[in-house]
Amino acid sequence: MGFGLLSLLTWLPVAGGVVVLLLGDRGIKAGRWVALATAVVAFGASIPLWTGFNPDTFDYQFVERVPWIPALHSTYFFGVDGISMPLILLTTLITIPVIVAAWTVIEQRPAQYFAAFLIMEGLMVGVFSAADALLFYFFWEAMLIPMFLIIGVWGGPRRVYATLKFFLYTFLGSVFMLVALIYMYMQTTSAGQGDYSIAAFQALPLGAVEQKWIFFAFLLAFAVKVPMVPVHTWLPDAHVEAPTGGSVVLAAIMLKMGGYGFLRFSLPITPDASREFDWLIILLSLIAVVYIGFVALVQTDMKKLIAYSSIAHMGFVTLGAFLTYDIVAATGKLQGATMGLSGAMVQMISHGLISGALFLCVGVMYDRVHSREISAYGGVVNTMPKFAAFMVLFALANSGLPGTSGFVGEFLVILASFNANFWYAFLAGTTLILGAAYTLWLVKRVIFGAVANHHVAELTDLNAREFIILALLAVGVLLLGVWPAPLTHVMESTLQHLVQQISASKLPL
Amino acid sequence: MSQPLNSNLLLAIALLPLGAAAIAGLFCRVIPRWLAHWVTILGVAASCGFSCFVAYQVFFEQAPVFNGTVYQWLVTDGVGMQVGFLVDQLTALMMVVVTFVSLCVHVYTIGYMADDDGYNRFFSYISLFTFSMLMLVMSNNFMQLFFGWEAVGVVSYLLIGFWYKRPSAIFANLKAFLVNRVGDFGFVLGIAGIVYYTAQFGGASLNYVDAFAAAPQIAAQTFGLQGTDGVNAMTFICICLFIGAMGKSAQVPLHVWLPDSMEGPTPISALIHAATMVTAGIFMVARMSPLFEFSPYALNFVLFIGATTALFMGFLGIINNDIKRVVAYSTLSQLGYMTVALGASAYNIAIFHLMTHAFFKALLFLAAGSVIIGMHHEQDMRKMGGLAKVMPITAITCWIGSLALIGTPFFAGFYSKDLIIDAVKEQHHLHPDNGIVTYAYWCVMIGVFVTAFYSFRLLFMTFHGKPRWKEAAAAPHEHAAHDVHDQTHPLPHGEHDTVGHEEEHDHHGGPPHEPGWVVKGPLVALAIPSVLIGAITAQWLLFGGGFGTSIFFNAENHEVMQELAHEFGNWLSFTAAAFAHPVVYLVAAGVFAAWALYCKWTHLPDLIAARLKPLVYVLENKYFFDAINEKALAPLARGFGKVFWKVGDQGIIDGIAVDGSAKTIGLFAGIVRRVQSGFLYSYAFWMVIGLAVMLGWFLTRTLN
Amino acid sequence: MNTATAFTWASLQPALPEIYLTAAICVLLLADVFFGQRRRGLAPTLTLLILVGGAFVTGEYANVSERILLFGDSYVTDPLAVLLKLFGFLTIALALLYSRGYLERRGMMRGEYYVLALTALLGIFVMVSANSLLTVYIGVELMSLSLYAMVAFDRESGIAAESAMKYFVLGAIASGMLLYGMSLIYGLTGTLRFDELAAIPPGVPSLGVILGLVFIVVAIAFKFGAVPFHMWVPDVYTGAPTGVTLFLSTVPKIASFAFAFRLLAQGMGSIATTWQDMLTPLAVLSMVFGNIIAIAQSSLKRMLAYSAIGNVGFILLGFVAGGEKGYEAALYYTIAYVIMTLGSFGVLTLASRAGFEAEDLDQFKGLHKRDPLLALVMMILMFSTAGVPPFIGFWAKFNIFQALWLTDHYWLIVIAAAMSVVGVFYYLRVVKLMYFDPPGDLPEGSASGVAVRAVLALNAAAVLVLGLVPNALIQLCAGVIG
Repeated sequence: MGFGLLSLLTWLPVAGGVVVLLLGDRGIKAGRWVALATAVVAFGASIPLWTGFNPDTFDYQFVERVPWIPALHSTYFFGVDGISMPLILLTTLITIPVIVAAWTVIEQRPAQYFAAFLIMEGLMVGVFSAADALLFYFFWEAMLIPMFLIIGVWGGPRRVYATLKFFLYTFLGSVFMLVALIYMYMQTTSAGQGDYSIAAFQALPLGAVEQKWIFFAFLLAFAVKVPMVPVHTWLPDAHVEAPTGGSVVLAAIMLKMGGYGFLRFSLPITPDASREFDWLIILLSLIAVVYIGFVALVQTDMKKLIAYSSIAHMGFVTLGAFLTYDIVAATGKLQGATMGLSGAMVQMISHGLISGALFLCVGVMYDRVHSREISAYGGVVNTMPKFAAFMVLFALANSGLPGTSGFVGEFLVILASFNANFWYAFLAGTTLILGAAYTLWLVKRVIFGAVANHHVAELTDLNAREFIILALLAVGVLLLGVWPAPLTHVMESTLQHLVQQISASKLPL
Repeated sequence: MSQPLNSNLLLAIALLPLGAAAIAGLFCRVIPRWLAHWVTILGVAASCGFSCFVAYQVFFEQAPVFNGTVYQWLVTDGVGMQVGFLVDQLTALMMVVVTFVSLCVHVYTIGYMADDDGYNRFFSYISLFTFSMLMLVMSNNFMQLFFGWEAVGVVSYLLIGFWYKRPSAIFANLKAFLVNRVGDFGFVLGIAGIVYYTAQFGGASLNYVDAFAAAPQIAAQTFGLQGTDGVNAMTFICICLFIGAMGKSAQVPLHVWLPDSMEGPTPISALIHAATMVTAGIFMVARMSPLFEFSPYALNFVLFIGATTALFMGFLGIINNDIKRVVAYSTLSQLGYMTVALGASAYNIAIFHLMTHAFFKALLFLAAGSVIIGMHHEQDMRKMGGLAKVMPITAITCWIGSLALIGTPFFAGFYSKDLIIDAVKEQHHLHPDNGIVTYAYWCVMIGVFVTAFYSFRLLFMTFHGKPRWKEAAAAPHEHAAHDVHDQTHPLPHGEHDTVGHEEEHDHHGGPPHEPGWVVKGPLVALAIPSVLIGAITAQWLLFGGGFGTSIFFNAENHEVMQELAHEFGNWLSFTAAAFAHPVVYLVAAGVFAAWALYCKWTHLPDLIAARLKPLVYVLENKYFFDAINEKALAPLARGFGKVFWKVGDQGIIDGIAVDGSAKTIGLFAGIVRRVQSGFLYSYAFWMVIGLAVMLGWFLTRTLN
Repeated sequence: MNTATAFTWASLQPALPEIYLTAAICVLLLADVFFGQRRRGLAPTLTLLILVGGAFVTGEYANVSERILLFGDSYVTDPLAVLLKLFGFLTIALALLYSRGYLERRGMMRGEYYVLALTALLGIFVMVSANSLLTVYIGVELMSLSLYAMVAFDRESGIAAESAMKYFVLGAIASGMLLYGMSLIYGLTGTLRFDELAAIPPGVPSLGVILGLVFIVVAIAFKFGAVPFHMWVPDVYTGAPTGVTLFLSTVPKIASFAFAFRLLAQGMGSIATTWQDMLTPLAVLSMVFGNIIAIAQSSLKRMLAYSAIGNVGFILLGFVAGGEKGYEAALYYTIAYVIMTLGSFGVLTLASRAGFEAEDLDQFKGLHKRDPLLALVMMILMFSTAGVPPFIGFWAKFNIFQALWLTDHYWLIVIAAAMSVVGVFYYLRVVKLMYFDPPGDLPEGSASGVAVRAVLALNAAAVLVLGLVPNALIQLCAGVIG
């Protein structure tokens, strides 16, 4: 099978990025439009993924497979299933607001800025579409470079510390994953002719000990990306220092790769180790929900607050992903396992939209006042009513209001976790209170109240550009909240297959 | 037999207010005021009319129960979650109440908000509220119920914070939302429990019918709650659900948000909350009667909470001087009565009281509002008095409302409240050794006296006695209440119970006057049902199978209803019989006490207050609920956050683990680089050392 | 295997590269003596032509497909040798090209320099094709002596002289050890030829052999610059003129690999486990110290010196892993490393101009503003050296990991992985300086010709392309080792 749609989605943005780079800062007028055009075309081109997707099968679709490194039995192998397809759409979608939001805001080296984001988009699509482990890792790592530059070049005062922290944290995690991947490749060779395809890894009959090692190698890589407590501290720094677009992509997409990794690698490849250590993941997830919820409560920096809330929300992803074993242990049935997984998936997509939107909102204010401190604001609604409406909407969505996408994932995960253990549901449920507390308190202090200072008094409401991107995301958030069925529909069979995979032990009886 | 209900009609009932709200809200900055209020009023009026039609079909044409799906919300794990409607007698009644009250509010708003900048926005809010409330009552499944449940919460959040410039307002709305969220937290767990158990009996489902069908089996289960030796599954679920109801229906201890919700544009938002939103909890429990009936423990819990609320919130009404807060506390107390009825598994009576209460409480709120307008936005009753002369209509309607509220024979409230008390009495006879029932019985009995007392205290202080407003008119208004708040607290703190002013309104002086007909109209419109509705509907609604199958009684409680029905006879005989009961005399006593203290010997109250200082202190601090929330819980939460953040994240993880290791490596590097001294001999020396070590190591290794 | 019996001219064909190079050196010498003074640009140009010609000759006439022995079997040529020689031509050509401007500005662009460079190359060729201890020794000395001279070439610079001195003395010690070890081995086995040494019975060898082996390993470690025999590396790298360092840090690495491969892998293959045990601590120490000390450097040259030590650790790991896969990995790593180092030191040489030595890290602040191309190239090379995809450096480390897995060196994998993370830190620091920091008042651009910059860009492009489609090179290495 030759090249196809997924290759297009991967390399088109990269090409676009190179073009923008070549146009340079002098040709930025054209460059902007090239960037936007690329992003829009990429999104348009990703629509067929959805429309042409067959939800009744869990097999890879839109498959492309051409030789890449025969010497290592690694192929250029692309394909999507119900898990990766929505994430790819999220990626292509989110890039558009990122480009638009930076339109005239970035004065310093704009060409490189747009280029970096386009290239990163391509690489991220590559991560989600790669069906070959080596190819996956290839994109997974390469993606760090543009983000490293984005934070470092266009970031805030402590950008160097933040971006180095980000890079080293993630690199450390990934290296051990690479080692694990190589090991599994060795196993496939011993089983016959070697193969780096993820499917082959999933089919590997691994012993208990091997699984443990591999599981923890993966855990290191994915836990850092998600991020899970206690390896989460890079995120607040990275978010705070990153430029708006960087924060958006970081929160909306890059964090999802951790969750994606758990679903794609950890669970199916090392089911028995996952069974043995699911308590650890669940514990950390619940800590993320509660502990981080409290931490978010006392933040004085808007971006930091949203960053922490991201960690808390991603806790639901990891929780939902690892419920299966406890559910089986508790009820002896798989009822609820798929619900937990689809809850995790929906939560990822939804959080992508909501956190992205919230960071854009902060960006809108930052562009005007150049401060992220909550105390620098107050009564923004008086001068920016339109903006305030959006901000309140996204804040409510972030606190899981039914009718917005934020509710769906959390609701499903709570329902599912009840099957495993009441206290899981109980602790996860506290997000109803904590999430509302820190999000709405933020709104209260920033949006409501009388005009706090002359900065706020001089604020101008959203311009058309900002309005459009926020409206775009708002529609997404509401649509997904009012009618999530289409999303869950495309994932269902894949997730059910996944449940079968992860509930089937690889150990000899 | 009649034709079934038209699903499109039901859809229209729910969606018309939404559409109106969308138009008024999205374009609130461009469309003119008249358009805003006409769109929304027409929307709500239409859905009110349709609701009445539906109610007619349901009650008089015995239309079959409608239970249909609108669309599939999502399917996962074989669990289908739909958006759908369940319309039976209970729903129909609620639909009428909700849309009717809402319609009154819409009309009344034209006058009340006439000079407010947020005119259009306000109309969109109240329409949105109507939509949410309808989604709540019409739902046929828990997911949608929860949607409506939270949606009304959000709209109330927006309404209370409508005047977002006022610190007190934006504290109140955050407080209201969070307190409600505490309830919703329990509610979600209850829903999860339902799904969990239905999964074991005929497939996981969120639909009422499935849950009700599985109820008996669920009641037979024991829920292995870690840390305990297990509780009855149904008890667990019902208590979780009721915790939700406690939040919405402002039952102790989750009642704290309701008095503060008066921060919104009173009395409208007050009305929205007091007469409509708070009934959601009552309705929910009644709707869930097939579940609650299987759990005596849960019912006792409900009974206890309700009784406590009924009595102790009533006390607060006695010492308060802010007219609208008195009404608010009386609302709390009446909600307590409804909850008691639920706890006594007299659900239909609870709903009946809910309905009658909606009318006369709406009347009282609008009357209070009319007084406030007349007094140029003065709400302190100590500055009123003798208003009966200048605003007669308001005075009369307010009298009617109060009479209904305290349960004067023949007035609406009389039937509903007396029946509640009788129901408790029956339960008491049934379980004489059940302490909670006894407790509840005494609470409701004393409550009757208290209600009568504070209601007439309000009447006398406002409309009678010497007109204190003449000298008070000159005195400046103090704004203390709004300045004490520290912007950085998640929950409001500081004394809240002072008079809330509305800066947006001009404080022009002049003598009090009766407002125009947009205000008086609704008063009259509500006064009539406040008198009649009880007598008319009581019998067939309660004992004539008015609720049809929508409310479920298990065998034992069914007897109670039979007993009540037998005792009730018809409205006349019931009224006559009532004079044989102490209730009526308690009412009279209450009225007399109020008259004695606030008309005759007006110096007495202060004397009594002086005597009972500690008691008054407790009451003035509202049993310290707010103090605990604001001085203990909120700081505690922030304290946790600070510690976790500074110590956990920044101290241990970042400080020691991350930066620490980096520093260590750097330090090590700094040291070992010194080996690179730059002296040739030392380099040679190192080479020789290296060689020697290797030789030594490998030779010894081979030798042995 | 056909061992040449009767001497014929045709039988010399496999040795053509060396013969050609020797002749070329003489020509260059003469040409320089006669015209050097008048035509200053003669020597470099001529050298370039010589190298191109040499590459052509090697590829065309000496391109053997199987192993051939010559000169009493003390000389071998095989696909590996051909590959390394061709690569040697390329490397040295690039090295001289990059450093031309530098040398010119410092008045070092004289014929002798190029002669020395070519003789060093000749020495490398001899090592590459050595099949006997003596041949290897000749090669080593020929290369080393030329290098000593090159380091000291800038007569004005005292520090250069000092470092040349250090290099020479320590190198002499190393050669002594090498010679001593060789004599021991010869005495115990009675042969100098690697293919006969391979007959040493497997298992634990005799005490004497081990004794000799230790000395040889130490010598090899010295040539590589592995801890604790690395002491000369930082000083010489820093002391020598950047142009020379560029040469020093690249071309000899090929020789070192050939040295270790011919002598240990092929010669002592039967007792591999023994010398692998010896290499293991050296490899680990090199990785640990090289990477960690590099963090503390303020001079870029010195930092790269330590990074070289760290990378040597990785190359040695290839030998430790052993087996075809291991040697392939080592070879691949060497080639990748040389390509990357050519680039990074190329940037250093181009960045420095008359009166301005771009040596300290601070001098690279805001390079992206002053010279975007150089900055971009440097960034690519830094990320590549750090082992981040999509660059060649990633595959280099990847192959080492794989080789180690194959031979179950679990702990080495963990250490290597950890150290590659530590390494990332200081490579990123360079990127940070170039891209995140303001240029300050550092001079604009650099006085380098378009052609050179183009070549440098191609160099970086190669790093990227070989990273995107690594198969060809990987298979090539596999082919020549097999």
